[in-house]
Amino acid sequence: MSPLWIVRRIGFYVLITVVLAFFAVPMLWLASAPFDTKPGLGLRWPDWTFANVSATFDHPFTLSSLVNSLILCAIATVVTTVLAALAAYALSRVRIPGRDLLLYLLLLLSSVVTGTAAMVPIFVMMLQLGLINSQFGTALVIAGGMLPAAIFILKDFVDAVPRSYEESACVFGASPRQVLSHVVLPVARPGVATIFVWAFVNAWGNFLLPFLLLRDVGQQPAAVLLRTLYDEGGSANLTVIPVFSLLYSIPVVVLYLFVSKRYGFRFHGGIKS
Amino acid sequence: MAGITIAALSTVYPNGVRAVDSLDLEVADGELFALLGPSGCGKTTLLRTIAGLEGASEGVVSIGSRDVTRLQPGERRVAMVFQDYALFPHMTVAENIAYPLRVRGVAKSVQQETAVRTAEGLSLGALLDRRPGQLSGGQQQRAALARAVAASAEVLLLDEPLSNLDARLRLEARTFLKKLQRELELTTVFVTHDQAEALALADRIAVMDAGRIRQLGTPREVFQRPADTFVANFIGSTPMNLVPRDDVVLGVRPEYLAPAAEGLFTGSVSIVENLGVTSLVTLDCGEDQIGYIVPEDSEPSIGAVVTVGAPAARVLRYDKETGLLVR
Repeated sequence: MSPLWIVRRIGFYVLITVVLAFFAVPMLWLASAPFDTKPGLGLRWPDWTFANVSATFDHPFTLSSLVNSLILCAIATVVTTVLAALAAYALSRVRIPGRDLLLYLLLLLSSVVTGTAAMVPIFVMMLQLGLINSQFGTALVIAGGMLPAAIFILKDFVDAVPRSYEESACVFGASPRQVLSHVVLPVARPGVATIFVWAFVNAWGNFLLPFLLLRDVGQQPAAVLLRTLYDEGGSANLTVIPVFSLLYSIPVVVLYLFVSKRYGFRFHGGIKS
Repeated sequence: MAGITIAALSTVYPNGVRAVDSLDLEVADGELFALLGPSGCGKTTLLRTIAGLEGASEGVVSIGSRDVTRLQPGERRVAMVFQDYALFPHMTVAENIAYPLRVRGVAKSVQQETAVRTAEGLSLGALLDRRPGQLSGGQQQRAALARAVAASAEVLLLDEPLSNLDARLRLEARTFLKKLQRELELTTVFVTHDQAEALALADRIAVMDAGRIRQLGTPREVFQRPADTFVANFIGSTPMNLVPRDDVVLGVRPEYLAPAAEGLFTGSVSIVENLGVTSLVTLDCGEDQIGYIVPEDSEPSIGAVVTVGAPAARVLRYDKETGLLVR
């Protein structure tokens, strides 16, 4: 217990405290500001009230935007997970020339496909397809952007499922569909759960695509609506924003807890062989 | 119950390798049959072709009187145990055993009943609710066997059934496997690279090399009269003495050689290896090294000059050119 050791110890804990505060302060603001009579940008012990909550609920678009977000994310997430699972299985099991190149190209292009650079063509395409202001169309574009990365990640999980599992099921008479649903997907379940949550969180926080493709404020998801929450003077509407932010963050947390508990990010430990 | 008939079967991989090369084989109903050979000899490919996991390029595979060459694996009424057992890790032992019935859409209650009955028969009764990851190697092997038995197939195929067990468990599992096969009277083909395993388990053995069968026979035939020098080299826990003499190669198993007044080989003792109840003595006979087995406590001392001989029936002659047994 030399003096140097004590100094280093103190220094270490100070550093940890600062880092912790950096992440904790916004969380504490999210917990306190919604219930404060005069919510500000600073952090203080709140003067408890529920007036902000009812004000937020009275706002014409807040609740509907959350519902829009849920619909948009549900479609995008389901499309991404289902298609990624099927594509990952196919790409993992079928040997085609240039398969890896195809995957890397897809991954590379995916950042372009829904990246900022492609926004104009996407907008024009959606306009000609008559899919502007369509939740479904927007969800498809979001899913399209997420698919390459989802396939890439999921393929690794499917690759790890031993071929003998499938062959075994096959010898006992399972059809390819049964092999997929009885054996491959359950064994790759941690991967599927990961992709599901990842896709949902990504779609939930996506701003640019819905902002461009959903012009009608009644169709806009929460991520886009947040930007419009200003009062007449042009400054941030601090009665609505804190409560809205809190509501906005709940689904992601709930989804994580649910998936983690129900489907588990746990792995079925490998069998010693 | 049915035998297996294989006629002029070839399995060629896309890269042109003929893993199984125009092979004929007949496995009798209820027989325990071993495919034995070094790695890469095509024995596993042959087994997988019988199962339908590899497509036959030429020839016919029949089970009983049915030609199954073009049938899907699931339609052949075969059950297979894989080298890694391939137990589904997300299912319990009971669910694993009942899986063949689940695929066929058998009622849940029948599935459960079959799983319990089969598990009892293989002393897995207490482990039905465990997952494969919670079982020992031996238990996993029995669970995989139970699943194959529950499929009530006509033919049981085993890919290296004992190779994933440690040495001690292997003996136990070997006895268990033979007993189970006798009780079920199920036509069983297993693949192994371990000649001792094949000799101990099988009713008949096919020794394979380069996609062809080198010798087909009972363990005794294969051990006593190897058809060629390849089989002679491969079979036996101590390698056979193969000594060129004039225009033939003499083959004598170390087990059949004993000190004799007038013998085949004379040399000085160079090495003595203890094998437990016996010892393997190596004689230095000029160009050749001759091994022979002596009982415990009668090992000669190093450097002693010994002459060994064998009964005439135990000395085999192989053609120098072809390596085939000269009758």
